Amino acid sequence: MARAIALLRALATAYRRDWTAVQSLVGNNFFLLTAFFLGKAGTFIYLIMGLVVLFPLSTDPLRKVPASRLPLWPLERREWWLLRLASPWINPMTWAIVALAAWAAGRTVTVSLWALIAGLFVAAFLISALPLPSGGGFWRSVPQFPVRLNQLVRKNVREMLSTLDFYCAAILSAAMLAYRCFGPPLPREALMAMTFLAIGALSSYAQCLFGLDGDGGLSRYRLLPVSGWQLLLAKDAAFLVVLIPLLLPLAPMAGFGGALMVLAVGHSPSVRQPREQTRWRFTTGATLGNGLVQMIAMTMTVSAIFSTSLWFLAAAVAVWAGSLWWYGRELDREGRAIAL
Amino acid sequence: MISCRNLTRRFGDFAAVDELNLEVATGAICAFLGPNGAGKSTTVKMMTGLLAPTSGEVRVCGLDPAANGLMLKRLIGVLPEDLGLFDDLTVEEHLLLTGDIYGVPRAETRTRTAQLLHALSLEHGRRTFAAACSHGMRKKTAFAMALLPNPQVLFLDEPFEAIDPVTAKIMRDLLQSVARHGVTVFLTSHILSMVERIATQIVMIRKGVKVWDSTVGDLPQALEDHYFDLVETPVVEELEWLGPSRS
Repeated sequence: MARAIALLRALATAYRRDWTAVQSLVGNNFFLLTAFFLGKAGTFIYLIMGLVVLFPLSTDPLRKVPASRLPLWPLERREWWLLRLASPWINPMTWAIVALAAWAAGRTVTVSLWALIAGLFVAAFLISALPLPSGGGFWRSVPQFPVRLNQLVRKNVREMLSTLDFYCAAILSAAMLAYRCFGPPLPREALMAMTFLAIGALSSYAQCLFGLDGDGGLSRYRLLPVSGWQLLLAKDAAFLVVLIPLLLPLAPMAGFGGALMVLAVGHSPSVRQPREQTRWRFTTGATLGNGLVQMIAMTMTVSAIFSTSLWFLAAAVAVWAGSLWWYGRELDREGRAIAL
Repeated sequence: MISCRNLTRRFGDFAAVDELNLEVATGAICAFLGPNGAGKSTTVKMMTGLLAPTSGEVRVCGLDPAANGLMLKRLIGVLPEDLGLFDDLTVEEHLLLTGDIYGVPRAETRTRTAQLLHALSLEHGRRTFAAACSHGMRKKTAFAMALLPNPQVLFLDEPFEAIDPVTAKIMRDLLQSVARHGVTVFLTSHILSMVERIATQIVMIRKGVKVWDSTVGDLPQALEDHYFDLVETPVVEELEWLGPSRS
């Protein structure tokens, strides 16, 4: 029994240290933006947030033990069962679900809503216990691009598709597409607001473009005979390749301008304040200040292009190109010594 | 091809590399030996332009790595200590990336990629993502990336560790072949038996200071004995808690 308790204690420590799912929300622009919009579109936004947030919070704590290690420990059968049954209670979400069930009895939360939340939790818990496919999923099937930096762009697209930010933006875009196909006509302003949200969902990633490259990737960047601006360009190209299809049901031209502004502002923290990111989590931006500047620049640009003239798109392109050149030079000056 | 003059790198008061003087000729295979923390990787980083020296100078292909970093990178191939692979690219994609970045024509890149994958027994895992590769496969991929652009100088940090004997032999033969074609090889390794077979020049370093530099033929004794004498003498302590010996 002592062995199982020692293991549970170690698991709790490891799980607490890695509970980045909640921490990542704090520095994510999408959650800043939704806080602003909650008053107007509360239920819809809450639903998306609930779906996307609950998933990473519901992982099985026992996964913290390396798969090759668990069978090597001299655990008796009853100790193994104790570990299996007790480990889910390390996850605070388990306690939250139980508390919600207790509170729901005779209160405003209906049994069916509680069942929906509990069902999502259990599904996510079980899925997280399955081994991840080594060959990668559909998100790794990325087309070829006819450019010299092809493989770098493809790699960067794959990195983006392994963050929850993308899926959040994709849900927004798909919902809007469905609404435009089957729902009543929308006011133009609604398209702009949804464009803000879709870009906002991906904008934190633009603040930490090197966050998923890992030490090996960063070390390779330093060896490659390419300029700093080319490395940034490969990152930006991937960002646009992922974002532009999501903007098609919204306001594509205005969204393109907004995306360029998000990238232009994001170059600085990407190069100067690099931050390591975790896959299948929301991206954590560099600072709240960076997030605010990004959101203000993006909303102003989108509004200007959407409401007045396409000339603002040319201005956004110029600002982005200037930022690419400046921070590319900075990357070269620093010997590309990005340290996460 | 590689030249160091009083090359020094300090981290605060600690001298990782201290007044290193070294010459490596074109086509040589120079083995740079020393215990962990002796300054081997720091030296390689200075030679490849990844770290600026505190003082002294280094020239590779006649270029100062600190001043001509981009130009030098086009002339050298590097197998770095951490292998420098992207989790989101497959083995084959790493090689195609190398060809694109170093300006090797696409058809030629494909030919070289196919040959390297075959030579290093990587064909079966060509579509495996680096994140899912074994350490040996990752090392072979990084080795192939260093070779693919046909560089003038190869820097290899611990190339033979975690490699199966057959692949180690293939890598050894490949390195001897490229050296015969005029490529200079600068490698670090802890596997002295392999070094003794492949190297033409032996340099030993201890606590950042060079303690030996000669051709293999000029070694006064077997490499391992000479290494233990000059660099580090192994001391084996009895583990008392193992109990009394039964033999």
